[in-house]
Amino acid sequence: MALRASRWRWSRTVWQRLILVLLWLGHGFWVLLGPSPGRHWTSLADALSRPAQSLAARWEARRVARREAARNFAETRAENVRLAAELAQLKTWAAQEAPALSEADSAVRLLGLKRQIPLELASARVIFSTRPATFGGLILDRGADLGLVPDQGVLVPEGIVGRLWSVSGSQSKVLPVDAPNASVAVMLMRSRATGVMQGLGSGRALIRYLSNQEVVQVGEAVLTSGLDRVFPRGLLVGYVAEVTQGDLELQVIVNLSAPLDRVSLVLLLPSQPPLEVQAPFLAPEQKPQRKRGKP
Amino acid sequence: MRIPTPSHLRQNLLCAAALGLLFLGGPFPQVQSVLHAMLVLALAPRPEAPLAGALWALAAGWTLEGTLRLFPHFGGTAWADMTVVLLAGWMAGRWPLEGLQGWLVRLAGLSLLHALAMHGAVVLAAGSHPWGWGWFWTLASVPLWGWLTWRLLHAGAASGRR
Repeated sequence: MALRASRWRWSRTVWQRLILVLLWLGHGFWVLLGPSPGRHWTSLADALSRPAQSLAARWEARRVARREAARNFAETRAENVRLAAELAQLKTWAAQEAPALSEADSAVRLLGLKRQIPLELASARVIFSTRPATFGGLILDRGADLGLVPDQGVLVPEGIVGRLWSVSGSQSKVLPVDAPNASVAVMLMRSRATGVMQGLGSGRALIRYLSNQEVVQVGEAVLTSGLDRVFPRGLLVGYVAEVTQGDLELQVIVNLSAPLDRVSLVLLLPSQPPLEVQAPFLAPEQKPQRKRGKP
Repeated sequence: MRIPTPSHLRQNLLCAAALGLLFLGGPFPQVQSVLHAMLVLALAPRPEAPLAGALWALAAGWTLEGTLRLFPHFGGTAWADMTVVLLAGWMAGRWPLEGLQGWLVRLAGLSLLHALAMHGAVVLAAGSHPWGWGWFWTLASVPLWGWLTWRLLHAGAASGRR
């Protein structure tokens, strides 16, 4: 109780100790500050301003990114416009070049067919078509000048087209196989049954003289038989579209495989070709031999 | 046997004389180092008046740094002096002197501690620096200046006078 009653007061000793402590702490602080006290203030200011600096850096980065994005957008739009113009130009060019490309494609395919048939084949261009008219045909740009004679077979890679009907000096007329007055000796691929195909118009034809005993399937391929001495044996004519039982014979409707309305280049078989031609011998391609143990 | 405490006047006069010599001993670093240790470790400490001893130690530290042509704002020497003088004063009150031998041993230990504290504080304040050989001369001459201060402070002091 007595100790609690004695109150603390500013005595001389307290003052001395306070001054002593302040002196000691002041000197210690001064020593710890080091040779350049300004450095510490700079460090403190740096530490305090770090959030603001970070914020400013982010803001600047965002501005740069936006500026870059805007520039990219403008460049992209300009590029888009340029590409659109280029695309339109290319489309126009493609439309202009489409016939030539189609003809070139046909020529390439004709060349492939020519290599497969070991006969002296001539080529001609279709310059006009009268097929929509009754007994119409195809007009070729070559005639007697190329040594053409009537009854030469005409074909395209997809199948046979017809035969030469008439030949003039520099032109000739083709009787297509779907003409009502055209006939081709054909055979069926599976049954090897032979018959005579007559045109029905519109890319269709009818095979006659097929026995009721023959088994014919829809979709079966129809080939030339070579018996008419216009086409050699084995050229594709078309595919069976419909089979009907008749009283004495089968009624077989054939879809012709050659696109008669879109023919531009044709091949001409020689007159009176052999009944059958052998496909040229083509050496198989050499496969790269791999030694055992090597990948 | 309790050694009588010297009077304030005598102690302050001796401190002032040592401080003057310290200031004048600038061209002689080894002598200055010994005078500095003597002032801080032997003359200034006083258990019942720590403030006075601390002020003398501060003066000694700043004087030494100033005469060594260091940057005066370093303050490491003054801080170490003040710390050691407070420690020496506390030791004098806690373990009163009983003879010359104990006095010399105490001064030797305090000299070592003072050298370490001083150079440590200077390292904190100014970075690394050459220590020199002052600490060695101080330690080697402890018997000399310890005996001298013993004679000036304690052996010649009148008993009971403050």
